[in-house]
Amino acid sequence: MTQQLLSWLDERLDLSALQHFVSEKSVPVHRHSVWYYMGGITLFLVGVQVFTGILLLLYYRPSAGEAYESVKFIVSQVEFGWLIRNVHSWSANLLIFMAFVHLFSTLFLRSYRKPRELTWVTGVLLLFVMMGFGFSGYLLPWNELAFFATKVGTGIAGAVPGIGHFLLRFLRGGDDVTGATLTRFYGIHVAVLPATMTAILGLHLLFIQRQGMSVPPSVERREKAGEKIPQIPFVPHYVLHDVMWWYVALAVLAALALFLPWELGKKADAFAAVPPGIRPEWYFLAMFQVLKLLPAHIVGLEGEMLGVLGFSLAALVLLVLPFLDRGAGEGRSSPLVTVAGVAALVYMVVFTIYGYLAA
Amino acid sequence: MSAHDGPLGPGGTRPEEIKRRTFLDLLLGVGFVSTALSFAYPLWRYLIPPAVAEATTNSVVAGKATEFKNGSGTIVKFGSRPAIVVRTSEGEFRAFSAVCTHLDCTVQYKGDTSQLWCACHNGLYDLAGNNVSGPPPRPLQAFTVNLRGEPGQEDVVVTRA
Amino acid sequence: MRPVIVRTVLFQALALAVFAVSAEAQQPAAATGCQTCHASQQSATLATPARDFAVTDVHRERGFSCVDCHGGDPAASDKAAAKAPSTGFRGKPTGALIIAVCSRCHSDAALMRKYAPKQRVDQAAEYATSVHGQQLAKGDTKVATCVSCHGAHGVRPVGDAQSPVYPLNVAATCTKCHADPERMKGYQRAGAPLPTDQRERYEKSVHHKAMVDRNDLSAPTCNDCHGNHGAAPPGVDAIANVCGTCHTVFATKFALSTHSLIFERGCVECHSNHDIAQPSDAMLGTGKEALCGTCHSEGDNGFKAAAAMRSGIDTLKASIGLSQEQIDGVENAGMDMADQALTLREAGNHLTRARTEMHAFDPKLVDAVVSEGMGLTAKVDAAAAAARNEVSYRRTGLAISLAFIVLVVVALQLKIRSLERSTSGSRL
Repeated sequence: MTQQLLSWLDERLDLSALQHFVSEKSVPVHRHSVWYYMGGITLFLVGVQVFTGILLLLYYRPSAGEAYESVKFIVSQVEFGWLIRNVHSWSANLLIFMAFVHLFSTLFLRSYRKPRELTWVTGVLLLFVMMGFGFSGYLLPWNELAFFATKVGTGIAGAVPGIGHFLLRFLRGGDDVTGATLTRFYGIHVAVLPATMTAILGLHLLFIQRQGMSVPPSVERREKAGEKIPQIPFVPHYVLHDVMWWYVALAVLAALALFLPWELGKKADAFAAVPPGIRPEWYFLAMFQVLKLLPAHIVGLEGEMLGVLGFSLAALVLLVLPFLDRGAGEGRSSPLVTVAGVAALVYMVVFTIYGYLAA
Repeated sequence: MSAHDGPLGPGGTRPEEIKRRTFLDLLLGVGFVSTALSFAYPLWRYLIPPAVAEATTNSVVAGKATEFKNGSGTIVKFGSRPAIVVRTSEGEFRAFSAVCTHLDCTVQYKGDTSQLWCACHNGLYDLAGNNVSGPPPRPLQAFTVNLRGEPGQEDVVVTRA
Repeated sequence: MRPVIVRTVLFQALALAVFAVSAEAQQPAAATGCQTCHASQQSATLATPARDFAVTDVHRERGFSCVDCHGGDPAASDKAAAKAPSTGFRGKPTGALIIAVCSRCHSDAALMRKYAPKQRVDQAAEYATSVHGQQLAKGDTKVATCVSCHGAHGVRPVGDAQSPVYPLNVAATCTKCHADPERMKGYQRAGAPLPTDQRERYEKSVHHKAMVDRNDLSAPTCNDCHGNHGAAPPGVDAIANVCGTCHTVFATKFALSTHSLIFERGCVECHSNHDIAQPSDAMLGTGKEALCGTCHSEGDNGFKAAAAMRSGIDTLKASIGLSQEQIDGVENAGMDMADQALTLREAGNHLTRARTEMHAFDPKLVDAVVSEGMGLTAKVDAAAAAARNEVSYRRTGLAISLAFIVLVVVALQLKIRSLERSTSGSRL
């Protein structure tokens, strides 16, 4: 039946080029080829988020007076609402985790080298977009933890030199975190970021399809030396493998929703005292912990501002990494990248754990 | 492929392999379908609106107008707190928070004196919600009542003013 | 004739004998010669009354002036002429004369009807029954008279927040004298000297908190229990009645109990009179903080009853707490427990009623309410258990989906393997 459908479309749209491309497409197989699937899993989780997000949209209300109640309604009154909400909350975390796995694997395997610099750049931008999704979405249930975490987070944005105050007011929709912040974050979460993500993700996928999978430098050297690198056809081998990993991700999500259901907590009260041990979600925790540890003033400048500047600089370096490690394109990648990568990984793991223990 | 295997079938496969492959395809098919169903069923149930259409924070349907007799008071759930829907002897609907302003006990309608009475410490309110006797320091919070729907089958809708 | 009536008539007679001036004007009185002269005096004693009267005074606003109380000739600019005996000038009234001056108008119903129809006209008669009035009749001028509480020259209506007799200010006004040990020296009641710490104690009380913190002006202050013009301490048998004007249910139940016959000071025995604290469950029972042990000892019926009532209340309180935890736990797992929350609230009402019921000091009555409450918590617990079952059921369903997903993963793995085998690995 699919054949009939395809030929019907082919008659009208001439799918021959597409069919040729798909049937010829192959993926290299080597010691590190398992990392190829990380991006696909991340993409799948994005799909899960969009799907469950749209479902939640049907019942959620983005106003301070009704947000918490509407989430409670979804979780307790709507059939399987608890499932959709749990999957959405867990998938968000899993997505960002996989995005980091994907980032580090492409970093260590030097996939960013010429000619794939733009793929890397769009990828890093996507990571920022995902973290934006996480930050904006976290506030939407309008519960106590989210309210104060947002207060702290947007407060840190205010520490950016120069534009800090403007940024804070822009994010909060005012001077304080209020219902205005909620509405604004909602707009960002369901419209602004999805549109941005679609554009950047489109480019990211386009580049990958255009250029095919990158191989690690060691494999490239073997290729240049004349060795034939084994390949598997994209359809059906790689696709099935991809789908299998997606199902593994689904299994993990189902298990998490089963054993660690997401709590709703108490409704946000702007005039209540900040609960002790308030902290952001884990993917911001390492940065938060460092900012907490910085002294109030360093060489006369505000400690927090220097911290924010430092992280901004790190983000910039990450973004333009392909252009800093130009030697990688000629097989002379700087070992500094590996060192920096390991250091960053260790820092993130250690400080995230530290952040949890310190609370 | 070794010499003592059976004759080759189409595409260089063997009959046992074909059987295994077909079984595998079947298994895969069953797996896909069952997982698809286990997603589709909750999705379907989720999309159907629940019995109570929205969270009762600001408004609640107390029932059909015909269910409330003249000269009666009925407790209904409004969000997480009780509300009382009063129908006066002339048939007029009134609604108040049923939480007594003294110590949070639930008030009830007292037919013989047409008042709202709190059993805990004998607080009394008139049918306008004013605290007229006993310990309550403030009147009961008043809600708005509207009738909605076909005449004869109206819903009594209580809304936070 | 009763002494009260005699005294009243005497005051009235005095008033009529002193003045013949009638008061009719309705507009605020214009500045008179009295004020012009007095306001410009150096001495504060002479100047302040005139100035106060000019700023704000409820009498002046209704057209009364200095002469309506003091007599004299306002038109005369010469001091001697203004204050000549023929003008009826009386100077500063003191003692019983103050009562006479004020009640000349304020006890005249026909007159008061013209200015404040709803106002009472029996203040002087009430005053005569009060301790202040009785002492004054004996010649004691240290006691309070009309002007001690209402002021003389800057009189404000009772509803004016700055009036000394506005509910929030009453305690300060009364204790201007009553908290002054020097002034209260020599007075006694029932053989004991009068206390001077009432205000200190009252300000710790739950009534004061209600008035000041929760803006409840119906909360009692000095005059609500002791009376305004007929101010006197409530008598020994009257205490429960006085408290019972507001706390009706407790008074009714208390009246049913044997304690009402035994307690000399009624409610005050357990709750104190001025520093009435927020009552707590700890006051009931046989523990260290409990008051029952003051009279009852181990083994007697009262001791047993106290223990029974306290344990009943504690049991219900604990049960409600547990049920609330259950509801919270299940709600977090995604079940809607709003109906159960309502039922639990009803159980909370029963707890309140049990604490009320206890004032009849009969464990059977308390137990009846407690049992009903326990029935409600049991219902809630059952519903929570059912909800937990539902959660397990859901989890099982999810686990089954998980099993299917794992099945697909395994099948896919096998499929991939078989594909790789059939195409013998490499394609290019």
